[in-house]
Formats: sequence, structure tokens, C-alpha cells
Amino acid sequence: MPTKERSDGERERCLIGIDAIDHILNGGIPRGNTVLISGSVGTGKTSICVEFLIRGALNGENSLYLSVTEPTDKLLKNVIPFDFFDERLTKQGKLQFIDLPRMYEKLGIDTEELDFDQTRLLADTIAGVVEDQKVKRLVLDSVTSVCYRIKDQERIRDFLLRLGTALSSRGCTTLLVSEIMSSEEGYSRWGVEEAIADGVIVTGNLERRGDLLRTLQIVKMRGTTHSRAKYVLDLTTAGVLLVPLLKGGSVAGGG
Amino acid sequence: MSEVADKLGALPDSSAIAMRLKADQYFDAIQGMLDRFATKKDLEVVYVTSTIPSQSIINALEVLEIPMDHIWFVDCISQIMMSQAKRHAHAIIVESPTMLENIMLKVEFLLRKHADRNALVVLDSINSLAIHNNTKILSEFLHILVNNLRSRGAYTIIFSMQEYETEDIRNMLVLVSDESIELGT
Repeated sequence: MPTKERSDGERERCLIGIDAIDHILNGGIPRGNTVLISGSVGTGKTSICVEFLIRGALNGENSLYLSVTEPTDKLLKNVIPFDFFDERLTKQGKLQFIDLPRMYEKLGIDTEELDFDQTRLLADTIAGVVEDQKVKRLVLDSVTSVCYRIKDQERIRDFLLRLGTALSSRGCTTLLVSEIMSSEEGYSRWGVEEAIADGVIVTGNLERRGDLLRTLQIVKMRGTTHSRAKYVLDLTTAGVLLVPLLKGGSVAGGG
Repeated sequence: MSEVADKLGALPDSSAIAMRLKADQYFDAIQGMLDRFATKKDLEVVYVTSTIPSQSIINALEVLEIPMDHIWFVDCISQIMMSQAKRHAHAIIVESPTMLENIMLKVEFLLRKHADRNALVVLDSINSLAIHNNTKILSEFLHILVNNLRSRGAYTIIFSMQEYETEDIRNMLVLVSDESIELGT
């Protein structure tokens, strides 16, 4: 996997553009990593991903959003109107949105369950788009929905490994959105995703004395040291903001 | 009110100040701080209120003819009071004064939105925050917030109503503030 090294021997980083997360990661995601961003509904996964792509595009990196569950036009209507979003990014092709169901159609995939060949075809097609468009930042929202059509754990493993390797070799940093239920243990629906990903970022809701706080925690990130503490986040037009979760001896179990 | 402005004006930039006042000095302190000190220093003001709803303070500012252009409120009391008052365009609501992290986040948001000007952040007041939060979490909140603001070069003023001060509150103020201003002395 040809990921570049910085002069200090550390791997080159992909700055997310969300200052607090880059700080937590000591300078961003190691470039080429495939990161699972996992959480239940309404916890900020999509906003984080969209900001990651916009910030990258603003910085000259081609960015691609692969939407599985929500058509692009609906997604764009519902996403936070970030102050820093520039419509020219989409017009210039620096920021692209593709609906994955259309990709299925083009590939002639119309079966409910993807077989081995179709799974590989899908991974190779995504990698091909990344290659052709020189994409440096990719979001797949959600990997859970793709895995629902693959179903078999071995094929899911093969899909993720194949896709992750292909993207990493092209220097593309990837966020895979994982939808979990708040009651669920682990960070992914199938259990395979979190084991294969280079990093796991978990978003959630924390109830404290009747208040519901949005939280974020980086559980794993290969290639860098990082804080594993829990943070509270806010989704604003100025971007995703984070502050440390206050402990104060008032949170059962330390938060 | 000139006393407030004079005392604040004598302090170095990015100071964290505990302003200890009596209830009858409240509006004089606000006027001195917002109308004279902040205007003279050309500061963007982020006013965190957990004592009375932002609209009440805004009404008072209007009576005092203090322009609102550079004053923003983080209001963490209106929602919990189920206040039906209209929301001013310069006020952001935090659901409850117990959501201390959200107060920090809203302050951060406003500072980012107005990053071109130096800022004054007012916490009104430590006494009302202490009603809703225990000492440990409130100390942690103040420690993080004040240090963050100091590192950005912002002024912090923490109101403390002398009538409601406890030993814990005095200790917290000593811990986080560079200076203590006691009005009327």
C-alpha cells in the first residue's frame, strides 16, 4: 500500500477540516485509511461526512459522495447549509454526488442479493470511478445498506478488503457510514466492517440527567496516536464543532 | 457604570475577570461593560445568560439605547422557563443551564462567526449556573472555557452576585480568574 510518509517519518495526513477532530487525531486521518463512521440516527454522521468532502474540495482534492439510502437531491436539501459551501465545487466537479442505485442499474445488478462476482464488480467499479476522477476523498453512505445486499459475511469481508485496498493504493481516504441502533453493541451491523476498517469513529447520544448530548469518540485509527476520550458535538452552519465531555463526577460510569 | 468601564479598561487583554456585584448594581454593570468598555475596545460580545432571559436584557439595552450590532446572546434559561417570548435574531437558545458543553459549543460558534474581531464573553452568572450544576462539573466547565478563551485572546467576565456567593463559588472564581473586580469599593 503506497501511502506516503512525511519528513518526520509519520504517514501523510488527510486533514478532515473539522479542527477538533484533526486535533484529536494529531493532524488528521493517515492518508489512504478507510474509516468507519458509526452511529445511530441523528447523531451527525452525514454532516461530518459532507463537511469532510466540502473541506477537501475547497482544498483542491476531488471528493465523491456515494449515496445509497437517500437520493442526492433530497440529501442536499436536508444537509446543514454550511457557510463555507461553494456551489462552484459541484459545477467544477471537485465535489461529486453519485446515487449508488444508478450504479447498480448501469452494472445490470438487479438481484436482491449480490453474488460473489457482482460484489467484486461493484468494488472494482467504485475503484474505477476513484481512479478516473482522481478522487482523494470518498464517502459511502451507508456501507450498511450495501452490506444488506451482500448479506454473506465472507463476501462482505471480500468486498471491504478489495475496496479498501484499491482506494488506499490510489491515496483515497474513505469514510464508510455504518448505521447501528442505539441499543446495539459493536460498531457495525455485520461485525466485519469494524474489523477491516483502519479507523472507527463513533457518534452517539448520551443522556445525562434528562439532557441528550450528541457525542463523538475515536475508538481506533491505524497510523496515528489519538485521544480516545468522548467529546460533545454540535452541528452548525460554521461546521461541526466539538468540546470535551465534562465529567465532573456527575456522569454515571464516567460518561 | 464608568467605574466598571474604568476598572475593566485598566486590565490587560485576554483577562479573565470575576465581577462581584450586588443585585442593585446589575444593570449599571451591564451598561458599563457593554456600552463603554466593549464599544471602546471594539469588541464582539457573547453574553451567556442563565439568570434572566435574553429578551429581558435586550429590552433593557433598548431602553438604554445600547446598539445590539455586536452583542450576541447564548440564552440557557428561556427554554427551561418555557418562555413564549419572541426570539431575537441575536439570541441562540441552549435548552438548559445543565448543558454546559452546549454553552461552550454555542460560544465557539459565535466566536467563529465573528472571528475578525476580538471578543468579550460574559457569563451571567456563576450563581445561577451553580443552582443547576454541582461544583465539580461547574469548575471543570469554567476551567476549560476560560482557558480556551484566554488562548484566543478574548476577555472573559464572570458575574457573581455577592448576595448569593458561597465558599465554593469564591474558590471557583479564584481558580479561574486573573482579576476580581468588586463594585462599589
